[in-house]
Amino acid sequence: MIRMRSVIVGIGIFGAAAVIALACSSPSSTATAQEVTPSEASFAPLGLVLIQACGTLDCHGQVGRNLRIYGNTGLRLSSANVPTSLTPTTADEISQDFGSVVGLEPEIMSEVAADKGVDPERLTFYRKARGLESHKGGTIVLPGDARDVCITSWLSGSIDEAQCTVALTYP
Amino acid sequence: MRRLPLALWLVAAALAASCDPVHEQQIDALGGETPGVPRGPLHRPGQPCIVCHDGAIGDPPAFSIAGTVFAYGNDATPLPDATVTITSVDGSVQTFTANAAGNFYASANDYTPKYPLHVSLTSGGSTIKMVSHVGGNGSCAFCHSDPTGPSSPGHVYFNVPNGVAP
Repeated sequence: MIRMRSVIVGIGIFGAAAVIALACSSPSSTATAQEVTPSEASFAPLGLVLIQACGTLDCHGQVGRNLRIYGNTGLRLSSANVPTSLTPTTADEISQDFGSVVGLEPEIMSEVAADKGVDPERLTFYRKARGLESHKGGTIVLPGDARDVCITSWLSGSIDEAQCTVALTYP
Repeated sequence: MRRLPLALWLVAAALAASCDPVHEQQIDALGGETPGVPRGPLHRPGQPCIVCHDGAIGDPPAFSIAGTVFAYGNDATPLPDATVTITSVDGSVQTFTANAAGNFYASANDYTPKYPLHVSLTSGGSTIKMVSHVGGNGSCAFCHSDPTGPSSPGHVYFNVPNGVAP
């Protein structure tokens, strides 16, 4: 009986020690999570489309928006710049826009990029643009139109710059 | 069970409508009326009209589109009689004429634009077009506020270099 009690106490102490050890452990300093994102290098043509279609100052050209879009005709990144078509969008602004797009849902974006853009509807920003989900700005991308091809081709890893250029002519 | 009189319900609704602190802050930020200018079509040029003209209980009548046209970018000289042309995404076109204060507006009952909108200004036989569209806010001054900065091109004005609106 005494021996049985000792075993139970021993197991209890071991368990408590294990819980404490787990609670106090820290992540490995060498472990990393490998996120796959669509290419930033090829983002610029899409970035210009997003600035034109989404980045007005009364929509996503506001600092309070999750999908924050910087660009020459909307919100400017540098305090030295003002919204105007008379000066170009800067490379830093395009880089920030890339960060906005891939940072919205990084895990899902990683999955879509790893799948070469298959099923882009997994991404909230795409669903909203397509009007598949409530979007104050309405439906701004139609299936197969130039904006759609620009977005989905970038997600696939092979951006269609010609269609992105066509998309810039949209009203 | 006794029913509350209609007046009490209305008072309760008005109180509820007035309990939006963000809206209250937006209104407070506009400040008071300019001395000598009564409330009406000529008041508050350059301000975001639809902050107050939003149709909420206790607020003035709702506008769908409203703004002010100034002559220059660096002062507040109004541009009376300027024509503001609004083109909805469906192609429908509506024009408005700026009054003596440069103000123009449309009642929400009379005009419901379909966003995004494109805007142009005409005065003295010349027309300039706004480069970007209006995404969803009918107050020009929501975006075109002073001072000019990274989040605003400044107030709406007509005399721009090369005839290209920023």
